[in-house]
Amino acid sequence: MPEELRIIDFGRVSPLRSQTTWHAVAYGVSEGAPATLSFARPSHPYVCVGYHRDLAEVDRDYCRSNGLPVYRRMVGGGPVYLDSGQLFFQITLPAAAVSPSRVEALRVLLAPAVAAFRAAGVDARLDDDGEICVGDRKICGHGAGQIEDAVVVCGNLIERFDHERAAGVLAVPDKEQRAQTLDLMRRYVSATAVDPERFRASLTTAYAAALGLAPVSGSLTSAERARLAKLDERFSSEEWLAGPARTPSARPRQVKVRAGVWTFSAVSGPAWVAASVVRDVVTAARLRAPGLNGRTEAAQRAITGVSLAQVPDVLAAFGEPGRQLAAAFAAADGKRV
Amino acid sequence: MANNTSALLQVDGFPLALDRLYHPETHMWIALSGPASAPTARIGIDALGVETSGTLAQLSLPDTGTGLAAGRPFGQLEAAKFVGPLVSPVAGTVTAVNHAVAADPGLAERDPYGEGWLIEARLTGPVCEQTGLLADPEEIRQWFAAKLADYRLKGVIAG
Repeated sequence: MPEELRIIDFGRVSPLRSQTTWHAVAYGVSEGAPATLSFARPSHPYVCVGYHRDLAEVDRDYCRSNGLPVYRRMVGGGPVYLDSGQLFFQITLPAAAVSPSRVEALRVLLAPAVAAFRAAGVDARLDDDGEICVGDRKICGHGAGQIEDAVVVCGNLIERFDHERAAGVLAVPDKEQRAQTLDLMRRYVSATAVDPERFRASLTTAYAAALGLAPVSGSLTSAERARLAKLDERFSSEEWLAGPARTPSARPRQVKVRAGVWTFSAVSGPAWVAASVVRDVVTAARLRAPGLNGRTEAAQRAITGVSLAQVPDVLAAFGEPGRQLAAAFAAADGKRV
Repeated sequence: MANNTSALLQVDGFPLALDRLYHPETHMWIALSGPASAPTARIGIDALGVETSGTLAQLSLPDTGTGLAAGRPFGQLEAAKFVGPLVSPVAGTVTAVNHAVAADPGLAERDPYGEGWLIEARLTGPVCEQTGLLADPEEIRQWFAAKLADYRLKGVIAG
């Protein structure tokens, strides 16, 4: 008899519970509950920020004016917008059952999700960056974390995606970066028209097969329900929302749209740049530097289509303003967006 | 606390400092200084620990004065959108935090045994009371080489 893969469908739950339920499962699995595949759909829209990320990356005024609560999760990634058009799933396993390599662990634990998309008729694949894609478009957000002695990997089926709100909840220093971020989101993040019931069934089959476990419908244990109440309290507190103490990053404001696709806005002295980068190539740029004297558009054109590594050489042709702009570019680090 | 990473050994392409202790399960290293009865420890993550983490994006470290318990998390590390605990190999109290590595986690990749250290701590007892640590250089070298070979065999890290 194979061991059990507990299946818990939390259904449509509050924004808070769409986070705290699966965190409670992680604590339960850490304490000996069976490996678990869980599902939840938020009843109302909200914003969720990754464990380490600065709350200042979220536009709190925008969230307040749109009635969007903000919560902090215990897994990685940046601030994201969630709503009822997204079905979330989480696979939770004992940490000892997972590769010590995080990249390998993610590859192994996202592979069944890819299989489920494919079984549901979507031509999905796990690309070299570890994103679930159709072509070059991301169709599934993911994050992962170790909570006590359990590892959880989260993902979603994006049935509908509100690109404007997803960009709107992000705090960025200027409207140019926001516009570029929205453009890239529209280009690189897609919803998939899949029946959620079919996807849920495919996902259950795929994870059970991959893990060699027998799927069994289940529910929270009494210990997990007790933990859930504590998590509700913790996740609702300002102290938790503020996040772990952090040393300010030396990096400029960078927004990752999907792996390898990001925007940044940076200042170096009097020079300012807002740029979009796809696979290390600048795909859009707005520049400002005293002394360009009517050559701003020429400089923007000159670096569009150029690799980040070559940007300083190209901007050198624009003299001191070009060197100042190159210094702004140098502050960005696409590897650590 | 002085850095002493001059004695870096290369083990099949990965650097290893032999002038410190290692916790073999967590890949944390401990460099001791001060009297044996009340030592101070600088703590970091070894090159294999860094490699298996992937590109480090974020580190959260404790404040000075925070208590450390052996086998319990003292901070968190994020790479590839995967958050995981930094587990303390020793018991003690944090006396210093490397804010440079918190601001630029890449430091731990570029110089894991030097500028990429994480915290310093005053230990609660002699290091002989801290369990599970490797101290003998030859034992450390053999453990590191065996771990590296095992990781490559299992595809945990690239061959």
